[in-house]
Amino acid sequence: MDPTQAGMVAVGAGLAVGLAGIGAGLGEQAIGAAAVGAMAEDEKFFGKGLLMTVIPESIVIFGLVVALILLFVF
Amino acid sequence: MGASDGAKYAYIVARVRAMKGKLIPRDMYPKFLNMEIPEITRFIGESEYKNDVDELGKKYRGTDLFEHALNQNLALTYRKLIDVSQNEANFLITEYLRSFDIWNIKTVLRGKFSGASEEEILEDVISAGQLRYRDLTEIVKIGTIEGVIAAFAKTPYYPALEGYKGVLADVENSLDKLYYSNLIKAASASGNKLFLKFLRTEIDLKNLKILFRMKRAGMERDEIIKMLIPGGMELKENDLGRLSAMSFSEFVRALEEFSYWKAISDISAELGSLIHIETRLDKYGLVYASSISYYYPLSILPVLDYILSKKIEVDNLRIIVRGKETNLPEDIIKAHLVM
Repeated sequence: MDPTQAGMVAVGAGLAVGLAGIGAGLGEQAIGAAAVGAMAEDEKFFGKGLLMTVIPESIVIFGLVVALILLFVF
Repeated sequence: MGASDGAKYAYIVARVRAMKGKLIPRDMYPKFLNMEIPEITRFIGESEYKNDVDELGKKYRGTDLFEHALNQNLALTYRKLIDVSQNEANFLITEYLRSFDIWNIKTVLRGKFSGASEEEILEDVISAGQLRYRDLTEIVKIGTIEGVIAAFAKTPYYPALEGYKGVLADVENSLDKLYYSNLIKAASASGNKLFLKFLRTEIDLKNLKILFRMKRAGMERDEIIKMLIPGGMELKENDLGRLSAMSFSEFVRALEEFSYWKAISDISAELGSLIHIETRLDKYGLVYASSISYYYPLSILPVLDYILSKKIEVDNLRIIVRGKETNLPEDIIKAHLVM
């Protein structure tokens, strides 16, 4: 792999994780706010709120998998 | 609605949904009807009203305690909504809750008009709007209606009050109109179409109640027109003019063309009874608020739905206890409940 190609792969891997992280963050902003609102009224919503808030994190895992494939398979 | 639009309402909506879950379930009201007042007070004292009952228990007893606890809880709950909301939601909630300022001004004026004591007037004050309880406590000390009106000179409600010429109904009517016209302006300024839709439906229901009352009392068209509030959703100004001119039976038949008819159609045989009609219209408002709040979950509507549901809960509890206190038959109390 020549240096330019290696650089492009590294940039691609970075974008895969970075953009997925931004997307997850956008999704989590409303869910997190709602979870905190519900918990402020009733502490019993802590478990459910936490679970709902981390669901968009799965997108970041997909991004990470793509990044790892880019870095170690290509 | 963009993601950020949704996000700005997520916190307050989740909070009011959780608060709505703590309201007294509908199936409790028939049970209350079978309980005695001390039992109901005990139940309420162990519910969301606990702090209010405990706090006021030193000062009041029996139904007075009940009444004060309900009023205080309502005021604190609404004030909490203002405190925990931000930006557009905060602005719209604050504007909407100005209805309690109107209520309080009317209460003070009516109290002064009928010569009620300061204590009696303050019993019915619900300080959920922008007028603070301590300010109202000072205003109540003023002896004359003119003095009371002058005390409101620096408030936005003064334009409706300054025209007082000895007839309280005119001032009350002007206050209602001022409230709704300001609210429509606020809704239009914020660009929140859902709020405007809710508001205009509320105006329609209010106009229908006025029309039923006035028609039953046999008032003339011009008198009725003066009382009606412009800006409704289905009942436009020409409809209001047309309905005002009809006889009671024609008026009832003409209502069939509006969607509100389905709220009262099954009690058309009892349309002479204002209690049934008003309860049905209130219920229509409640069901409407609840259903549109599910269509638009991340908007101001769930908050308005909660505000309405809480108000109806307090009204229902008050009706049950006051009805039981005066030994009203169960079916009459039940007819007044919005369930």
